[in-house]
This record gives sequence, C-alpha cells and structure tokens, in this order.
Amino acid sequence: MSRIKKTLLVALIVFIAIQFVRPARNESGQPSPADISKIYPVPANVHAILKTSCYDCHSNNTNYPWYSNIQPVGWWLASHIKEGKAELNFSEFGQYSIRRQRSKLFAIAKSIEDGTMPLRSYTLVHSNSRLTAHEKASLINWANQAKDSLSLKN
Amino acid sequence: MKKIVVAIVISTITLMSCNSGNNKDSETIKTDHISAHTNGSVSPFTSNVNGILHIYIHIKNAFVNDDGKAAADAGNEMVKVLDNFDENVLRDDDRKQFEDIADDMKENAEHIGTNANNIKHQREHFDMLSKDMYDLVKKFTAGQPIYVDYCPMYNNNKGAIWLSETKEIKNPYLGKDMDTCGSAKEELK
Repeated sequence: MSRIKKTLLVALIVFIAIQFVRPARNESGQPSPADISKIYPVPANVHAILKTSCYDCHSNNTNYPWYSNIQPVGWWLASHIKEGKAELNFSEFGQYSIRRQRSKLFAIAKSIEDGTMPLRSYTLVHSNSRLTAHEKASLINWANQAKDSLSLKN
Repeated sequence: MKKIVVAIVISTITLMSCNSGNNKDSETIKTDHISAHTNGSVSPFTSNVNGILHIYIHIKNAFVNDDGKAAADAGNEMVKVLDNFDENVLRDDDRKQFEDIADDMKENAEHIGTNANNIKHQREHFDMLSKDMYDLVKKFTAGQPIYVDYCPMYNNNKGAIWLSETKEIKNPYLGKDMDTCGSAKEELK
C-alpha cells in the first residue's frame, strides 16, 4: 500500500472513531423558572427574535442543525455554546443579581447596536438569524426599557 | 491514576506560567500619586477599596488619552485585585452588597482587559464600571475625596458618569478632542 493510501486510511479511521465522542446536548426541554420572560414582559415579536437569533448560544435550549451530528463540528458548536452561556444565559437570567441583570441588558443593547451580535460566523450559516434594522430597533428598545424598569426598582 | 496526577500537575504548571506572563505589564502601574491624599488611619478594608479606586483612576485616565492598551492593562490588574479581595471582614448583608458590586466590576474589567484594540467596546464597559465604582465608594467609602462627573453626550445623549481624582474635568468617554466636556455632579468624601 502506498504512503498516501495509508495516511488516508488512518485519517478515515480517526474520523469514524471521533464520531462516537458526542458532546452533551444543550437541550433542557422544560421551561426554566429563572427564564427572562418570567421576570420582564417579553413581547411576542421580541421573543421571536431572541429565539431565532440568540437562544442557540444564550439559553438552555439549542436548536441543533443536522451537521451538529458530525464531529468535530459538534464539538466546536458545544464549545461555542458553553462560552455563550457563560457570558449570558436568558434561561437563567433571574438568577443574576439585579445589578448584573442591568449590566447584561445594557450590554445586549450595545452589542446589537454595534453589530457584534449575533456573531458573523453564526449569521453566515443561519441566514434567518440575521437582524433587520427594524428587528434591531425592537430588540434595543426592549432591552433599554427592561433596564430602566430595573433602575426604578432600585 | 498515576497518569491523571501527572496530567493535573502539568496543566497546573502550564496555567500558572500563563498567568504570570499576562500580568507582568500591569504590575508596573503606579498608584503613589493618589495615596498621598489618603490619611494613615483607615481600616484595611477601606484601604483595599482605595486600591480598587486607584486602578479605576488608571483606567479612566487611559481613556482620557484614548489609550486602549493602557486601559486593558489596568483592567486586567483590577480583575486580579478583585479576585484576591478579602471581603470576609464584612457582615453578611454588607458582604452580599459588596459581592454584587464586585462581581459586576470584575466582569466589566474583564471586557476592558480583553479588548485593547476596541476602545469603543471598552468604553461601554467603563460606563457600567463607573456606576459600580460609584456605588462601591458611596456605600463603603474609599478613604479619600473623589469627584463624580457627568458627561451628558455619551451613549446617544443618554449620558454617563465617571469618578475623578481631580476637580478639573477630563472626560474619558469622548476622546481627546472633547476631553473638557462635562460637569461635576457630586463630591464623595
């Protein structure tokens, strides 16, 4: 067997082997009591935006694409989701301190305004997650209102 | 079992060496010009809060000079100091309040520390950091008088505060060209 063939064979075996190492899926299935919608009113249009453009990485329920079943893509997604949830998790928003909630809402409005979120690498693959100017405005407006309602409480 | 122990030892050493590399820069921060104002009879806790305020002032002055790199160094230094902060001298409810503020500060300082090349993003977190710093000093005192200044124009005219060691206005939000914009709002003692 030639060298190239051997290398390819080894690569194939490794590829098949890693398919069996599957990361735990980010799917809790049940609504969390600390979900942001339990704390502030989230209008239907804002909720729809959050769901399609944010929740895959910032909640306890990812809507997985088919290719997430292929490794190492699944691993890469899992690490992204872990990072995203550490930064902001809408499903556990109620567990943050009021101060932290306020900062998060401020940061949400800012990252939408600056266009840093949703990540370009994400919108590239999920074209429906791209935000229109109108959607951006609704989201920013909602985040600012929620933040201000918190400031008044304190 | 042996293998696991070896792996843990190696990763610990690696982590430790990474950390020491990162923090070298920020250790050179000088804080003596502010401590000259503090009197000698403050509690250790107050002087620790004062230490955080010093680093905050460094971050603020870096933004006055549009220097994202210096702000990042001081931001990383703040994370380190907050990590090692001893709040156990505080009573339960005070400690809870302190931890709320400190957690938020740490997160904002982290963002400032990791975005040396994105001063716009750094300033957004500095806006939040300033509110935290204000609450911290207001609640626990920093053992020195400090000015609270206000910039009405930042963040699409929503405005933002900052804390300053000098009476003279030096605005950290709008860049060098507009650094005298703003007004004093309050003096914390």
